[in-house]
Amino acid sequence: MDSLIIPATGRTPGVSFDFVGGHLRMTGESYPDDVAGFFGPVFDALRGYLSCPDGGPIRFDMELLYFNSSSAKALMNILQMLETVAKAGRPVTLTWCVEENDESMRELGEDFAEDLRHVVFRMREIPAGGGP
Amino acid sequence: MSRLFKRLWPFGLGSEIVGVCQALTENPAAPMLAQQYAAIKRDLDDKGILFSFSGYLSEGILYSLGEALREKMALEEADGPTIRRVFSVFVEQMQNIIRYSAEKMSGRAGHPVELSAGMVTIGMEDGKVFIVCGNTVRNGDVPRLKQRLDHLKSLDRNGIKSYYREQLREDPDDGSRGATLGLIEIARRASDPIDYDFDAMDADRSFFCLKVRV
Repeated sequence: MDSLIIPATGRTPGVSFDFVGGHLRMTGESYPDDVAGFFGPVFDALRGYLSCPDGGPIRFDMELLYFNSSSAKALMNILQMLETVAKAGRPVTLTWCVEENDESMRELGEDFAEDLRHVVFRMREIPAGGGP
Repeated sequence: MSRLFKRLWPFGLGSEIVGVCQALTENPAAPMLAQQYAAIKRDLDDKGILFSFSGYLSEGILYSLGEALREKMALEEADGPTIRRVFSVFVEQMQNIIRYSAEKMSGRAGHPVELSAGMVTIGMEDGKVFIVCGNTVRNGDVPRLKQRLDHLKSLDRNGIKSYYREQLREDPDDGSRGATLGLIEIARRASDPIDYDFDAMDADRSFFCLKVRV
């Protein structure tokens, strides 16, 4: 299955989904003017990948420095998709990256992790100055 | 006009401007242009306002003003998390105006255009950044908006946090174009309780203002 690569822009995140290696990554910032327009194709590609029966482990690195409230809903959808396959037995690890001292992003990570039962959740601190 | 609204409205109907208008009527030949706008500028400066935009807003303006805001704060050596907290409140307030202003125009000029009237003002007051947004709303929408804002005002920090967690897992309300999360996000990032006010304009519309300190 082809990878999904979307370069970051000023207000949409970089998406790098390596489906063969099972390594998914989102970077940058997310406050698109059209959330459904941006995330629709991401959901479609992910849904296609998760429905393939190969069942290898998945690593998801959430490296966004900022996302707005509409993007929060979209991210929640992605995590719920991952939780579903994890529940069915596929190993999934989510690494939530937080710039040091960014308490807001750390708390958001806790909010998102609250009902992950089967996805393994890890918080990782990264040095400050990774972006604006 | 209510007291809070008068305090929030930076362009005044203030005494200086009314004075200028009277002078203009008395002596139409007087060179008033610079004086008139200098008074507006002075009024903004006196209120600690860094940026103020009034008129038709778009996602493009949100992006540009947001960049300018971040650059300004970075030059003042604010740290990343602080800049993002202010920026986050700014984005949610701007998107509320763009989505929910009752004064809109849309059409095509080569590409789809949607413009929503409103204003956004950012300033410093007692060492804190404040962001005020204002826009026209339909009177029919006022009770529900009031109810939501009062609910948020009644919650403490932990209450806001659990409300956010709950709404994060809900489908958006009917008629909501984003997430119902926007106002909760604003309350969460604010350092003091949010202030809001409505000023009735006519039988159909009111002017809505929301002031948030970060």
